[in-house]
Amino acid sequence: AVTRRLCILKGIYPHEPKHKKKVNKGSTAARTFYLLKDIKFLLHEPIVNKFREYKVFVRKLRKAYGKSEWSTVDRLKDNKPSYKLDHIVKERYPTFVDALRDLDDALSMCFLFSTFPRSGKCHVQTIQLCRRLAVEFLNYVIASRSLRKVFLSIKGIYYQAEVLGQPVTWITPYAFAHDHPTDVDYRVMATFTEFYTTLLGFVNFRLYQSLNLLYPPKIDGQADVELKPAEGKEYAMDSESYLEKLSALSASLARAVAPTHEDEVEMDEFPVEGETAEQLDARKKEQEALEKHKKLFEGLRFFLNREVPREPLAFIIRCFGGQVSWDKSLCIGATYDVSDPSITHQIVDRPRVERQVVGRYYLQPQWVFDSVNAKLCLPVADYFPGVLLPPHLSPFVTEQEGDYVPPEKLKLLAMQRGENPDEESEEEEEEEEEEEEEDDNDKEEEEEDESEKEEEMKLKKLEEQKTQSSKALPVKVTAGKVRLEDKQRLEQEQQSEEKRLAIMMMKKREKYLYKKIMFGKKRKVREANKLAAKRKAHDTAVKEEKKKSKKARRA
Amino acid sequence: MAAPPRPLDDGPAFPRPPRHGDRKWNRVTSSKPRGLVVLFKMAAPAASPSFLGLGPASRDPAAVRRRSRGSRNRKKSWKRWAGPEAQLGREIGDFLEDVALQQRATGGLIAEQPDEGLFFVDTGNAEKDRRLNKGKEKPLHVDLVLQPDSKVPAPKNILAHQIPNGRKEKRRREFWRRQEEKGVLPRAERRLRARLQRGGVPPPEKAPEKGRSDPERGFYDIWAADNPLERALAGQDGWFLQQTKKQRVKRPARLRTKPSQVPAVEVIAAGGSYNPTFEDHQALLLRAHEVEVRKKRAEDKVERQLSIPAGTQLPTAATVFQEQCEGLLEESGDEEDGEPPPAQPEDAPKPAPRREKKTEQQRRREKEARALACRQRREKAARCRRQEIFRLRSLRRQVKRWEAELLRRRQARLAKCRAKDALPRRLGRLKYEDPSLEVQLSDELAESLRTLKPEGSVLRDRFKSLQKRNLIEPRERAKFKRRYRLKYVEKRAFREVT
Repeated sequence: AVTRRLCILKGIYPHEPKHKKKVNKGSTAARTFYLLKDIKFLLHEPIVNKFREYKVFVRKLRKAYGKSEWSTVDRLKDNKPSYKLDHIVKERYPTFVDALRDLDDALSMCFLFSTFPRSGKCHVQTIQLCRRLAVEFLNYVIASRSLRKVFLSIKGIYYQAEVLGQPVTWITPYAFAHDHPTDVDYRVMATFTEFYTTLLGFVNFRLYQSLNLLYPPKIDGQADVELKPAEGKEYAMDSESYLEKLSALSASLARAVAPTHEDEVEMDEFPVEGETAEQLDARKKEQEALEKHKKLFEGLRFFLNREVPREPLAFIIRCFGGQVSWDKSLCIGATYDVSDPSITHQIVDRPRVERQVVGRYYLQPQWVFDSVNAKLCLPVADYFPGVLLPPHLSPFVTEQEGDYVPPEKLKLLAMQRGENPDEESEEEEEEEEEEEEEDDNDKEEEEEDESEKEEEMKLKKLEEQKTQSSKALPVKVTAGKVRLEDKQRLEQEQQSEEKRLAIMMMKKREKYLYKKIMFGKKRKVREANKLAAKRKAHDTAVKEEKKKSKKARRA
Repeated sequence: MAAPPRPLDDGPAFPRPPRHGDRKWNRVTSSKPRGLVVLFKMAAPAASPSFLGLGPASRDPAAVRRRSRGSRNRKKSWKRWAGPEAQLGREIGDFLEDVALQQRATGGLIAEQPDEGLFFVDTGNAEKDRRLNKGKEKPLHVDLVLQPDSKVPAPKNILAHQIPNGRKEKRRREFWRRQEEKGVLPRAERRLRARLQRGGVPPPEKAPEKGRSDPERGFYDIWAADNPLERALAGQDGWFLQQTKKQRVKRPARLRTKPSQVPAVEVIAAGGSYNPTFEDHQALLLRAHEVEVRKKRAEDKVERQLSIPAGTQLPTAATVFQEQCEGLLEESGDEEDGEPPPAQPEDAPKPAPRREKKTEQQRRREKEARALACRQRREKAARCRRQEIFRLRSLRRQVKRWEAELLRRRQARLAKCRAKDALPRRLGRLKYEDPSLEVQLSDELAESLRTLKPEGSVLRDRFKSLQKRNLIEPRERAKFKRRYRLKYVEKRAFREVT
């Protein structure tokens, strides 16, 4: 067991031999193998001696207990041998970026362990340390505004943040969702956690340093005054209230150096060689979009009702610049009351709200998550309490061309581009009609395409349909008539001609491959169409039902 | 009217009244009611000639010599403790036992008890009795049970009040007192005084270092150039550090690569959203369904192989009996097998062809033929070789083709390797198995976040992910195996109940 622990701590993993018989004395039975050199390397570790000392300590302690020599027991306990993993962290991650790349595991583990009940499954100290590190990391993400994606799944909540240019993904379980699975080796998990807590601690320190924040984090003086110290006593003892306040995520952190308000300075641009103006432009645009995304909730004031999950919501809202508060009795660190007239959004999760206050939106929590993923504040009408919610899409799925894109996502994409399909067709019916029309167009064009045999053209057309179905009008060219638009058309034709020629010039083998690829694409399109049709059928069925129920209600 | 005093009821407080020694008791009490001291007083005049001292020297030599056992022809005289002294000893023993019993039971001799302790007044009138015998009521059973068995107090633990090494310590204290008079002080005292004279503040006690899992532990910048971890060794000679084993062994480069390319956190498919789109959910359901179907098929296969094929009949008692009797009974059906099969002689191996000895001539001719064939072959090969110069082009083509084939094989091998890398490797006795897909059926899906019921466990997901990335080998929980069979014993108290 000690060897396994050591291997995990040192990052040495079992190895599958190429020739099982050679290493296993001629037997082919499956066993666990480690490389001999790895184990030899392991033996240089100073922790090995510490483990031995610990073994001796346990033996002495047991003996003292057996003889009921209590003074000896106390003395032994005072001198309990302990070890640290700092040097292993340094050894395994020689640079900071290495550590950042491996942060996914560490974060997921810490968040998981911090939700464990304080029962005998693992050390209470470990749980507390995990909680502290997790809260510190959340505070860093808030301070740096680096959250990018959130996904509520049935398993837990997935987050993705961009830490110093590295995407970091982690999963947190829902609160109070505990069944302790029996097929999991808790000792192994605890060993991993032991290492990851050390790693995360050092990473946190460095991250705080990079933002000029104090570590261990201190709540900003101003905010500290706001959180009246007397108030805190109801929630926790003085020793605990620090972490509790920190985990409330409502106050900003103190900086080592006072923040200078010169953030507006434009970054100097260094055009990389070989980069065209277009790429530069695109990059700039991306940057702007990112900045806008970071300030998504700036200026909004939220209030969380007590039935919504407080921590994830507070974290997300604060990550995008919003202000958030909750009921005073719910948690420490509430900054304003329900009755505050400046509240713009109130997050509720019950079918009906009595006594609504004028001047604020009552929304379901999904609005916050969807807005973050869509990178814009979505129209609130779909998220009023009691309204059937639109589906929560996964931001981790990226569609390639030709894939099926659900209509919800299409709508979202359109909104992101700045179009507003809702304004054009406010009523659902119209929308659906539109969709139907689109579908019809799809079909017709599909038939046409089949008659033609140019896959290339077809693909392009499909693309056009996908992106801007309304704009793609069938353009006909009659011989002899020259129009102004012809230039584009000619260019296109020439391009397609060139492509056809290139195809003709292909070698037989390559052509075969090319055809295969094209066939695959076509198949994808076909499947996507099939799914769309299915969806349409489903939608119509739902609509029918709705209508029926409406009629029934009326009658 | 005055009734004679009646002894108290023997309650449990006096559980064993003297039974056998009643007679003797009377005698002793009547003569001198004084315990042990009385005994000797009584004994001394009674047996002045036969009184024996306890020491060996006190024995009368004449008596020893005279000590005859009498006749030995009867069993009675064989008794070891026969004779007057034995008799006396027995009596003393009985007496002592009796006294001890009284002390145990009542806390003293009964003879010394006042009358009120032993008797109560019975007037025949219940009310009067109660008044007269106040405080003498029979105690409750519960109280009796809680009383100690013996009235004699337990001996005191002497050791409890002793100080270990008390005398030695005392001597030492005295020694130091004497030394102090002379002006010599113990070392610790001297140091303390010296420090007091110096007037220095005692050095602050260093707080014990926080362990690695202490929630209050501190961190520092481990990746900075000047970190506490390496500060001690900074600026020293590398060779010196290496030779004195102060420098850590360098981590081998092969450990830099991860054992698998699978991402650490695999995001669940879009259908796993708490409020998925219809298509995504259907797709996820389909995948889960396929897994289930595969499982079912495997189960069915086993079932099918184990079941009795259709059309076969189960053995009945009659067929079983017949089978058992097969070959035991001479039956008339043997006649058909009676004639021997005619195929046997054909199958018998033919006798090997006889080898005649070759003549000299035959040998020579064979030799010549062999030589000729060899020469012809050689010539042909030479001719072919000469001709190959004209085949250069085709040869080159052949080589090229062969090389292309080799390249293709190498690439295929590489691709296979790469594909294998993506899969979890076989690292132990067990194979990695994908965890079951987390899925919620359409009617289980939550309408809002509040009513969401989480599916699966993040802990298991993490554990399986570690296995999938080849970081740990799949294992199963150790099963508890009992070495010996358990033996069931029913306790007596329990058996009485059942």
